[in-house]
Amino acid sequence: MTPIAYMKRTLAGALPIFALPIFALPICAMLMLALLAGCQPKQDAAKPDASVAPAPDATTLARLGRAMFFDVTLSASGRQSCASCHDPDHGYGPPNRLAVQLGGPHLDRQGRRATPGLAYTLNATPIWTHAQAASLTERLTETDNPPKGGLMWDGRFNSLHEQAGAPLLDPDEMANESRAAVVAKLAATAYAGDFRAAFGPDVFADVDRAFIAAMRALERFELDDPSFHRFDSKFDAYLDGKATLNAAELRGLRLFADPEKGNCAACHLMDRRADGSHPLFTDFQFAAFGVPRNPEIAANADPAYFDQGLCGPKRTDKADRVAYCGMFKTPTLRNTARRGAWFHNGRFHNLEDVVRFYVERDLKPARWYPSNDKGQPVLYDDLPLEARRYVDHVDPPFDRQAGARPALNDAEIRDVVAFLKTLDDGYAAPPNPTLSALSTIGTVTSMRSR
Amino acid sequence: MFKHPRTRWLAALCAAAAALALAGCGSDDSKTTTASAATPPVVTTPKTIQSVRHVFVITLENENYATTFADTSKAPYLSKTLVSQGAHLQQYFGTTHVSLGNYIAMISGQAVTADTQMDCMVYKDFSLTGMGDHGQAIGTGCVYPASVKTLPDQLKVANLTWRGYMEDMGNDPSRESATCGHPTLNTTDGTQAAQAATAGGLPADQYATRHNPFMYFHSITDSADCATNVVNLNKLTDDLKSVATTPNFTFITPNLCNDGHDGGSASSTCVNGDAGGLVSADAFLQKWVPLIMASPAYQQDGLIIINFDESSYATQVLDTSTTPPSLTMTFSGNTCCNQQPGPNVPASSFPVRQSFPASVSHYPYDINLVTTNYGGDRTGAVLLSPFIKPGTVSTTPYNHYSMLKTLEDIFGIKEYLGYAAQEGLATFGTDIFTNL
Repeated sequence: MTPIAYMKRTLAGALPIFALPIFALPICAMLMLALLAGCQPKQDAAKPDASVAPAPDATTLARLGRAMFFDVTLSASGRQSCASCHDPDHGYGPPNRLAVQLGGPHLDRQGRRATPGLAYTLNATPIWTHAQAASLTERLTETDNPPKGGLMWDGRFNSLHEQAGAPLLDPDEMANESRAAVVAKLAATAYAGDFRAAFGPDVFADVDRAFIAAMRALERFELDDPSFHRFDSKFDAYLDGKATLNAAELRGLRLFADPEKGNCAACHLMDRRADGSHPLFTDFQFAAFGVPRNPEIAANADPAYFDQGLCGPKRTDKADRVAYCGMFKTPTLRNTARRGAWFHNGRFHNLEDVVRFYVERDLKPARWYPSNDKGQPVLYDDLPLEARRYVDHVDPPFDRQAGARPALNDAEIRDVVAFLKTLDDGYAAPPNPTLSALSTIGTVTSMRSR
Repeated sequence: MFKHPRTRWLAALCAAAAALALAGCGSDDSKTTTASAATPPVVTTPKTIQSVRHVFVITLENENYATTFADTSKAPYLSKTLVSQGAHLQQYFGTTHVSLGNYIAMISGQAVTADTQMDCMVYKDFSLTGMGDHGQAIGTGCVYPASVKTLPDQLKVANLTWRGYMEDMGNDPSRESATCGHPTLNTTDGTQAAQAATAGGLPADQYATRHNPFMYFHSITDSADCATNVVNLNKLTDDLKSVATTPNFTFITPNLCNDGHDGGSASSTCVNGDAGGLVSADAFLQKWVPLIMASPAYQQDGLIIINFDESSYATQVLDTSTTPPSLTMTFSGNTCCNQQPGPNVPASSFPVRQSFPASVSHYPYDINLVTTNYGGDRTGAVLLSPFIKPGTVSTTPYNHYSMLKTLEDIFGIKEYLGYAAQEGLATFGTDIFTNL
């Protein structure tokens, strides 16, 4: 789908007339006249015009989307809503330490990827692209852009109304058998009347229309609800000069930003944005880190099964691009400390281990990977052999050669984790804070060289 | 894509033709000094390069002369239509590899620093350690101190106007401002790669700071003029409506797709789905050049310069005897016009060799890049003006410094900036302005 086509589809729900091609405008004008004519007193004036689908405003859409998001009755089990895995109190991420969540009709089917957090990024996520410089040399020397954008770990959806249907129909998640099953459940909800009022009294008579309307509502809630964009972490308060970071947090911030140390900010962007808004801690780009295989995922018992992210198997349109294999989208780090499992396969359950993996992966591989029958660690064992060559060895701290000292020591790792905890939503400033010494904080990366 | 309404376009062309015809009559009149007894003698001013009062520069990206102007060029509007309407500068050269150093040279005459030569991934302040010959700032970094002047500074002193029109700038306000858009000083430049439309409804933003030369001079970025003079390209249409609203100097930077930087192959398109490469560059020119040519300012005394920042590689050799195979791509780095390397990146640092193993390049071979010399190689350029006869061809060597010196001459500026002041540097002459 081209972006232009996508934009038209996005607009079609909210601004149906403006999204129409120009040759359709006279038809619209006639339709408007017909609608106005319908305002004239007539004996059958109360009879609705079934050919005109109502277009609820954004507020109405978001309100309906909220109701659906928290509604467990929309699942086959009757016990699972979107919020069951995307908990608002955890940055709309998982509320437990499971590597992957359970779903299905009996809540006993394991998903295959860790649940991503939804807060902050959804409305800013670019559609999936891999634009490269026309000049090969510039790709190499200047801007060898990696793939970027799209929703989910593999970027396979470009809009939330496309994406929202996936978990509703996934047999490992909410497990509805069909769109019709979702619509039937929706028609039985307490807010079905509101849905009819918004989309027309006969909306549930047309399954596809009702399903699409429901997805539009979920999309609007996820895009517009302030709970997805709180910007009330300690770090936000720090940026605004309303909080101080303690010594460990400040050291962690510097290590996080320093290209010679953690270099985390190279991908998890931490500078204020151009309009002064606070950073999202992701660049939406894809990267292949060779995260170890996770035996907690039952599917991994099959040695032939590999979750390779961008090249499949969930995503199917890039299966022939071997250089994409093993690439997953960079998540935001806001609320990351509230998670209980990290990376796409939930391999790690301790945030210090996550940071340590970054700095030790190739320097102490035996610590991270299982050994073969010769006692040698099998690096990047969650990827097939042919894909392992594309694992990132370029971006620091992955560029260190064998025998080199890790970019961070244990104390520094703890400091980075202390900083990461300042990215959790819901910071409550201590009473009567002493802020007189604070100056307005400008950019953070300017501190890298300090 | 927006297109000029056909009837208006034809009317504009007719008006342009009429203006050219009248200008031609004027030239003839200037040569014919006999006046009729019934009318007072007409005092005419001989036309010179300073007859040009409105210059429009459109800079495209990264193409070899041989590719752009080939018979099979993917840019037929540029290589055929516009070449036939104006002057074809067949020996026009970029001044460095990669992009940014070329743009900076065009408006300031400054040679590259170690940072500008690498496109300033971090938008660093310039650390000035001294001044070399020809006003060359010695030091490292990207954003020159206010003491280093630019063509816009000169125009301001001369009470002339200028504007930079940057396509897409500000499409995503969190990425860059809609006016004078640049990263915060000493932070990573987040505009190096194009951004696609977002799930939240923002349009694609393919603005690149490194293709906007005005953002690398404190004399501009720290001035109030920056917000009014470095604007989104969508302002140009209105500004072209009258001579009074058209700046004397207009610099147009298409977005990363429309300047040909991105896409351009079957496997890679632009983030908005357009083809990119020369195809999109040509489409951009097809849209904007007729609009400019139809403007009162162009028809009165305009000059359009369409150039490229730099060339692409000159040769590539694939060695299959190694595992994986090894591809060596060589930039000649050719110069013209006795171009000097500048004080910050000495000529002795060339040739530069860079190796990108397959694991890095994501290509099925190891890639070696060799840049033999410090120049930007031959790109060619096309100039259009009422003062240029259609079909003019120049084989005189020129580069970005020549262009800057020419602009300074056009606008009557006495002091040449940077290497525009290089001894013996030729300006665009009567080989190009064939209809003065």
